[in-house]
Amino acid sequence: MGFLYPGALAFFALVPALVLAYLARERPSRVTVSSVLAFRALRGFRRERFGGWPRLDWMFFAEALILSLIVLALAGPFIWSSRAPLAVVIDNSAAMQALTPSGKTRFEIAREKLDAELAVQNGGGEISVYVTAPQPRRVAPPFTTLTEARFALTQIKPGDAPNDQTTLENFLSNLASEARVATVIFAGANALGAPIPARIHPIAVSDPVANTAIGSFTLRREALGAEALHASITIANFSPDTRALELVVTGDGKEVARAKESLGARETATLEFPTLAPARIYEARLTPEDALALDNVAYATAGSVRNVSILFISPTPSDADGLDSIPGVEVSAKAPDAYSPDELGSFDLAIFEYAAPKDLPGVNSMLVMPPPNDPVFGFTVAPTAKVEIAGWRTTDSLTDSVNFRLLSLRGGEYFGAHPWMSEVVGGDRGALMLKGERGGHRFVATGFNPFPYLGRRNLPMSVLTLNSIGYLAGLGASSVGYRTGQPWLVPAGVERVILPSGKKVAARPGTLFTDVSEQGVYELLGRGAARTPRAVNLADLTESDLSSVPLLKVEAPSSSSAAPPVLEKTSLADYLLFAIIALTALEALIVYRRRRVIEAP
Amino acid sequence: MFGLPDEFTPGFLARLEKLRIRTRQRYAGLGRGMHLSPKRGSSLEFNDYRHYSPGDDFRYIDWGLYGRSDKLYIKLFQEEEDLLTYIFVDASASMAYPAGDRKFESAILTALALAYVALASGDRVMLRVLGGQGAKVDPSFVNGRHRIVELARRLRDLKPAGQFDFANSLASELIAIRRAGKVFIVSDFLMLLNSVTRGLGMFTAASMDLTAVQVLGGSELNGQGLDGDVEVVDSESGERLRVSIGERERGQYRETMLRLTREIKSFCLKRGLHYSLYTTDNNFQNFFVRAVSDLGLAH
Repeated sequence: MGFLYPGALAFFALVPALVLAYLARERPSRVTVSSVLAFRALRGFRRERFGGWPRLDWMFFAEALILSLIVLALAGPFIWSSRAPLAVVIDNSAAMQALTPSGKTRFEIAREKLDAELAVQNGGGEISVYVTAPQPRRVAPPFTTLTEARFALTQIKPGDAPNDQTTLENFLSNLASEARVATVIFAGANALGAPIPARIHPIAVSDPVANTAIGSFTLRREALGAEALHASITIANFSPDTRALELVVTGDGKEVARAKESLGARETATLEFPTLAPARIYEARLTPEDALALDNVAYATAGSVRNVSILFISPTPSDADGLDSIPGVEVSAKAPDAYSPDELGSFDLAIFEYAAPKDLPGVNSMLVMPPPNDPVFGFTVAPTAKVEIAGWRTTDSLTDSVNFRLLSLRGGEYFGAHPWMSEVVGGDRGALMLKGERGGHRFVATGFNPFPYLGRRNLPMSVLTLNSIGYLAGLGASSVGYRTGQPWLVPAGVERVILPSGKKVAARPGTLFTDVSEQGVYELLGRGAARTPRAVNLADLTESDLSSVPLLKVEAPSSSSAAPPVLEKTSLADYLLFAIIALTALEALIVYRRRRVIEAP
Repeated sequence: MFGLPDEFTPGFLARLEKLRIRTRQRYAGLGRGMHLSPKRGSSLEFNDYRHYSPGDDFRYIDWGLYGRSDKLYIKLFQEEEDLLTYIFVDASASMAYPAGDRKFESAILTALALAYVALASGDRVMLRVLGGQGAKVDPSFVNGRHRIVELARRLRDLKPAGQFDFANSLASELIAIRRAGKVFIVSDFLMLLNSVTRGLGMFTAASMDLTAVQVLGGSELNGQGLDGDVEVVDSESGERLRVSIGERERGQYRETMLRLTREIKSFCLKRGLHYSLYTTDNNFQNFFVRAVSDLGLAH
C-alpha cells in the first residue's frame, strides 16, 4: 500500500483537535429545572468514570473514524495489484467486409476468434478496444470487465476506408512496447511478419478470396467547349482465373456507357469512355458481383459544365474583357468589396487579380499578382519594374506550347518560397508562376498580369492564359478524386455535408472534414440552395486484393520479451469515500432518532 | 375575549356555565345561593319538624301530620346559600420551568376556569397567590360572573418567582381566611411529599373541601429535554446536581415523576380530597371538560 500525497497524513493532527472539541462539547451544561427532586434518583456521572472524564459516547469514535478516513482519502491511498491489461485491435478496414466461402464476412470471423481469444488472454486487467481504419483509435475508455469489452466489439462495424498500413504498423509496434499493456490481440486481414513480438497475439483472417474491383474512376474534359466528358475507369481481377467482366456507367441514374472486358488472373485494365453524356453524378458498376461488393462500384461527379464560368475579382474589372472573348468562357467580373465566398458555388473557377480571398476558395482559382502576406496563401513577394523569365517547366500542362522567351513583360513581382505551391515559371530573383493543390482544389499564382496581353498581338501569353484556364477548369487532366478515410478541407461557403448514408454533418469552411469513412456521393450544402456533389471512393486496389494481403511488420524492443505482469495502482479512495458517506449517514440517523426521543412527549 | 385568555372562547364559557362546584359538606355562605347551608331556611328542601310555638307562620304547619297525631308541627326547610370558594395558585419559581411548557400560564387558566364556574353559580370566590412577584392579588371575595375579568387582570401581571414552604404558607393562609368553604390548590406539587401532605392535611382538619390540581409540563415528565451530562439547578432552592442523562436515565426520571404524582393522588383519595393532573401538552379545554368529576365539579 502507498499514498499518492503522503503529506496529507499531517492532517491526522486534527484528531486530537476533535478530541478537544468533543470534550468541550460534552462538558456538562448547566440547566435550571423546576425541581431536582426526580433527578436525585439518577446516578451521578463523575463518580462512575475515570478521572471524571465525559462519558465515552460511540458517536465520538464514529466521528474520529470519519475524520481519520477523510485524512486517509486525502492522502490518496492505493495498493499495487498485478494485473494484465489487454489491448484488443480489430481491423475494421474495407477489406474486412469481404465475404468468405463460409458465408460470413472476414470481420465476423475475426470478431468470433477475438471473442474466444479474449476469454483465454483476459488477466483481470483493463481491456482497451481499438479499431484500425481509417486511423487506429480507441473506441472507448478502457473497459473493466470482459462483458463490457465484448459488448463494445459487437457495436463495431467495418467501414469503407482502407487501413493506412504504415500507421497501423507503427501503432502495433507502439502497443507492443507499451509498458501498461501486457497483451495485444490483433485480429485483421493482415498477418504479422516474423519476428512477432511476444506480447502480440495475432488473429489473421487472410484466407485468399477471389475479387474483382474498380480501381479508379476519373473524368476529364478534353477541350474547352466540349460537351462530353472523358471517363477513365481502371478495373482489376484478383482471382486466380480469367474473368469476363462487364462495366456499366450510369449518369444521374441513366445508363451512359457499357463495356465488357475479359481479364486474366491478377490483371488490370483501364477502360476509356471518351464521350460520356453530361450528368451531375456518374456511377460505375462492375459485374458479376463478388466477395467484396464495395469495390464493385465507384462514383464520379462532373467537375465542370459546357461553358467555363469564371468569377473575376479585381479592382479593375475591365481587365476581364479579354477573357470574355475566349469561346466557351463566361466571365463575371466583381470588385473585391462586392465579392462573397458564397458566390463561388455557381462558378467553375475564380480569378483574383491584385486581390486575395479571405478563405480558401471552394473552386479552382488563379491569383494574379496577389498582395503579400495574405492570411490564406501567405505569399511573400518582391515587386520589380522589369520581369525577367529565367526558366520554366517544359512538361507542365501550364507551359505547354508556350515559348516564354518571346514574352516581353513589364512590371511584376517575384514570389518567395511557398510551403505548398511549386514553381512552374521562374525568374532571376524568384518564382513568377506557382501552382499547387489544397483542399481538393487547384491554385495557380502568377507574378505578372497576362490579361492585358491577350490576343494575337501576344500569342504566347494567350496560350499561357488558355493553358491556365484549361488546367483550372479540369480540362485535359483527370479530376481530383477523393478516397475513403482521407480527410479534405471544407470549401468556403459550405455549412453542412450530407453523407452517403443520408446523415447530415455540420461543417466549418477551412477545417478538415474527417467523417469520410463511407464510400459514395457526399453533398456539400452551402447557404441557400447551393449543393455540390463530391464523390468519395475506396479506389485502393491494394485493399481490393483479397488474395495476397501484405504482411505487417511490427517492431518491438525485444522480440523475446514475454508479456510481463503489469503492476497497477488501485486507488482505495472510492472505498474510503463510500465508508465516509455511510458512517455520516448512520450518524445523522442516530442523531435524528435521539432528538425525536427527546422531543417526544 | 374581554381580557380573558384566548382559551376562554364563547363555547368554552358556555360549557363552564353548565358546571357547578360540588362539595361533600355543607358550608355557611355569606348570602343567598344555590348550595345547601347548615342553616335552616326557606328553601324548598325539607329539613325537619318541630313543635309549633305561638307566633310561628301558619303556612309551615304540616296539617296532614296534625290530622294523624292531633299535634301541631312546623316544617323546617334547608337554607340555600352561596359557597365560599378559595382558589390558591402556586406562583413559586418552579412554575416557570421548563420554560417551554407554560406551566404557570396553565395554572392561571385552571384557576380562572374554576373561578368562572363558581362565579357563574353565584358563589363567592377568593383568589390567593402563593409566592410570585408582581402586582399583589387582592385577597377578598368577589361575586358575579363579570368579576372574572377583574380576576384575570389581577393574574396577568403576576410572574412566578421565589420559594415558599408549602405547609407553612398554607397554614398562614388558613388562619387568614377563617371561614370554611371549597378550596382549590393549583400547583406543580414538586416538593417533598411530606410537605405536600402536611399542607393539604391542614385543610381537611379545618373541615375544608379541597381539590388539588397538579399542573406539570409535558417535557417535565420526560426528562425536560435534557441529554448527556448536565448540571441541573433547582429553580427554587438553587441546589445543583450533576447527572448523566441517557435513554435509561430518562426512563428512570419519568418513573420517579409518575411515582410522585401517584403518591399525591393516593393521599388525596385516602383523605376524600379531589385530585386532578393536567400536563400542559394536552389541550386545556379538553382537559377541563373531561376532568369535571376529578376537579370536584358537577353538571
